[in-house]
Amino acid sequence: MSEKIAIGPFNPELEESVYFKLKADENRIVTDVEIINGFIHRGMEGLVTKKNFMQNLILTERVCSLCSNNHPFTYAMAVEKISGIKIPLRAEALRVVADEVKRVASDMFNLAMLTHLAHTHDLMKETMNIREHMQDLKEVIWGNRMDMSVNILTGTKYDLDEGKIEIILEKLKIVESQVRALQEKYENSEAFKEKTIGVGVLPKEDALSIGVTGPVARGSGINNDVRVIAPYSLYAIRPEIRPNVTLRTEGDVYARAMVRFGDILEAIRIIKDVVADLPEGPTYLEKRPHIPAGEAVVRTEAPRGELIYYLKTDGSQKPERMRWKVPTFTNWEALKVMILGDKVDNVTMILNSIDPCISCTER
Amino acid sequence: MNIEEFNNAIKNNIVSQYTLHDDVDSYGNPNSWIKLTNKNDIEAIAKSVSAYKGRCVVMSVYRNEDGSHMLIYHFDIDGMLINVEVPLASDDKNFISITPILPSANWAEREAREMYNLEPVGHPCKDRLFLDPSMPKGEMAEYISLSKAQVGLSDTDILWNKVNEGIK
Repeated sequence: MSEKIAIGPFNPELEESVYFKLKADENRIVTDVEIINGFIHRGMEGLVTKKNFMQNLILTERVCSLCSNNHPFTYAMAVEKISGIKIPLRAEALRVVADEVKRVASDMFNLAMLTHLAHTHDLMKETMNIREHMQDLKEVIWGNRMDMSVNILTGTKYDLDEGKIEIILEKLKIVESQVRALQEKYENSEAFKEKTIGVGVLPKEDALSIGVTGPVARGSGINNDVRVIAPYSLYAIRPEIRPNVTLRTEGDVYARAMVRFGDILEAIRIIKDVVADLPEGPTYLEKRPHIPAGEAVVRTEAPRGELIYYLKTDGSQKPERMRWKVPTFTNWEALKVMILGDKVDNVTMILNSIDPCISCTER
Repeated sequence: MNIEEFNNAIKNNIVSQYTLHDDVDSYGNPNSWIKLTNKNDIEAIAKSVSAYKGRCVVMSVYRNEDGSHMLIYHFDIDGMLINVEVPLASDDKNFISITPILPSANWAEREAREMYNLEPVGHPCKDRLFLDPSMPKGEMAEYISLSKAQVGLSDTDILWNKVNEGIK
């Protein structure tokens, strides 16, 4: 005897709008998975060709909230490549600081959701409380808790002075010690481990074949962190700030959570290193860029993995074609491997473990 | 792994002429471009990417003024980005799916089907990806934007031609 189970698209157990059709056997083991998307598709790739290059800085920041900084960052890199522009070193550093701050906040949000779904609510509350320091930091430095408006074409629109650097370092001191203590609690929580260890396994061979990136790849033993394999911005200029990535081989929900802890601690280290030796100079080029006909492919490491932008221009004020691939786009297919053969009760946990971003996927 | 090694791996398996442009990005990372003249040669390239344990990062598509399409597959092998241009003729809506060789191309090829009404022949999945089945395929070319219809185009036939296309 088998049963059919529908989850989503709008379900209290599900954080995002996606629809799962599952088939399960009498032991409530999933025997078939179907994923249906398309509930919030916004046609943004069409829309960006109707906006000029400046307007698209604002639009790309609104593709997604949690990795909102990565989109304009990567988009700006693509425009700058076509224009043949080298932005000031200080701007490269400032872009990296903002991006790593977002990474900490994003990864912590995913961990909080994971502990919520594991019904370990003390851990969830503590994770969110620590994350709140990063939200405060964003508000103080950039004036907003999500969209930071850091990037402009040819540099950054924000700068750091000694006072702001002191605020950043003070916050990071608190967050770092709290994150280390929190990680120990996760590692020692029997309730959390019971719900995550051996759950939603993605073997390395499948991870390679599907082409997953980010913490999902690293949880299955694959390091394709763009900051390491194809370093950009300050990661290319100063090799010492590149992350020492956390790799796990288990490929389960627990491994992916621990990889995110590694990412968070490395992000904190990177921010501290960069602000301790912030290059002098301007934060942007005064001259507006001339954007000739051309094409560029650039990529960055967002909190969920590789973000790639393809930009084609024709010499006008608008992109002829702009295309981007977000990490979740390829990570979705991995869910089928993770969910198949696992318990129905684990499905939402497994879904959360890829840190799915539907607003990114359904541009 | 470098682009010369990859070129040696593909050159005997590619039937038609192609060009290879070895490039680096602004930060010195290899970012090469291969331009195919025969769309079917993408299969040989996909096999080589697979042999090197590479992946299809994504595929970009754009429509040329004459109605033909260009597919650009973006592959990654150990951090080296290889962009492969696959031209389709204006009356050609089919291309060989490489998803059976590189499953990482799965969603990208399905999205080309939905957005540009191109058919990845041999793709293992026929399901829609994003758009409701009631919406026609080829969404990116289907409608005329309000801005295009309103701004500076009132003395052209662009809107009328678009409507006529629909009537045909």
